[in-house]
Amino acid sequence: MPPVDFDVVIVGSGPAGSTVARFSAEAGLKVLLVDKRQELGAPVQCSGAISHHALAAAGIGIDAEYIHEAIYGFAIYDAEGRRTVHDYRVLKPEAYGEAAGKQPLGYVVDRRRFDRYLMTQAERAGAEVWLKTEGLGYAPRPDGTCTVDLLRYATPVTVTARLLVGADGIQSQVGKWAGLQTHIKITELAGCLQYIVDGVQTEGLLEIVTGHRWAPGGYAWVFPKGHGYAEVGLGVIATMTNQPAREHLEHFLRTSFFNGRFTDCRILEVQGGGVPLAAPLRTQFADNLLLVGDAARHVNPITGGGLHTAVAGGKIAADFLVEHLGSDGPLQDGGLRGYQERWLEELGNKMWKLHGIKTDIFHDMDLERRDRRLYDTMADYFSPTSEYKKI
Amino acid sequence: MSKQQPVLFRIGWNACINCGACVAICPQEAGFVSPFDTIAVDRPCDIACLLCEQICPVDTIRHETVPAQGVTPTGGANR
Repeated sequence: MPPVDFDVVIVGSGPAGSTVARFSAEAGLKVLLVDKRQELGAPVQCSGAISHHALAAAGIGIDAEYIHEAIYGFAIYDAEGRRTVHDYRVLKPEAYGEAAGKQPLGYVVDRRRFDRYLMTQAERAGAEVWLKTEGLGYAPRPDGTCTVDLLRYATPVTVTARLLVGADGIQSQVGKWAGLQTHIKITELAGCLQYIVDGVQTEGLLEIVTGHRWAPGGYAWVFPKGHGYAEVGLGVIATMTNQPAREHLEHFLRTSFFNGRFTDCRILEVQGGGVPLAAPLRTQFADNLLLVGDAARHVNPITGGGLHTAVAGGKIAADFLVEHLGSDGPLQDGGLRGYQERWLEELGNKMWKLHGIKTDIFHDMDLERRDRRLYDTMADYFSPTSEYKKI
Repeated sequence: MSKQQPVLFRIGWNACINCGACVAICPQEAGFVSPFDTIAVDRPCDIACLLCEQICPVDTIRHETVPAQGVTPTGGANR
């Protein structure tokens, strides 16, 4: 294969992109990681929950640099406020707890610090990182490599590469460059809004509030955010309401069954985003191109969680491309299909199954029964016996 | 060709939280974006499905209809 500037160019330095970059660079590949932002992770579009297991499995060190608060379990509420609690400090006290020698179940992270931490790991592994650099397009070449057009500090730069990885998030353009079908159905993109607040007590649990009246098509949440802060948010499906997410959040704060809990709530930050509660993309590769993370819709369709799936998928992509480039595997004409197959086997097939469960619930037109089914499913999902608890 | 009349979007930048949801839902081809992680506001959208307005978590996308491209009101050909 002819010489190229980089083995791998990655567009987007979120959790998925920087994980691909780190493991590719660690394996000795020449890696360029670009991100159009000046500060990673901002504006924050994520609640920041990730399990201890997910970090460990992706080889990410547990570091105070990015952790807001440790969490130990879940509380799932029905629309009236009855709740199921899975507090792993109580369920498995030998493993989980605050005491020395025990570990948290997971963490709420600061996405600005987390994304920067992961990028730093990639840089230390040898990846070159360009901030303020946007991807504009790419073109496969007859010699089997490709060119990638970038805009760096408003100056056009073209580099050659063997492989391009699209890790450009929910608003991904990279997949569209290759003509992949990437836009999300309106019934499967949750419009989410959350406030970081002062004056709301939490108890080391991720609290999840189900019920059509609070968050049609999605759910509401109250997560601990460290320093005595909390985040209160929700996601809604636009076709199930004629109000935007913000109205639903205000309504939840004013009228929820928590009564006085939000009375002293003061808003410190406003964050929001689109969360794909969608099936993963059917095609996540093209000539010289792989997609990872939100760009590939690698999001848990039940929880809307995308951090675990991003770093796990990023590791799968890196492992694949290190082997594939190492053996001079074909990069065009379906040569990268193996990535998608490996991803499906390790993660994707379970996500397809979850998507089926979610779709089934929200297609139930009997609201009372739908509410009950969502509550039961969520309560079961986070239980220690759930077959999905590692997603 | 869409039967909808093309629209030009307006975004309330003061309310926009740059979340990208409008871009994620947009069926346009690559590049129909603004520099601020929103759908494009500098050229008309000929699909006019208005899904972006529906998904916006802070309800701050509006539009006005504009003459169809191809033939301008003066009869000249557009690109």
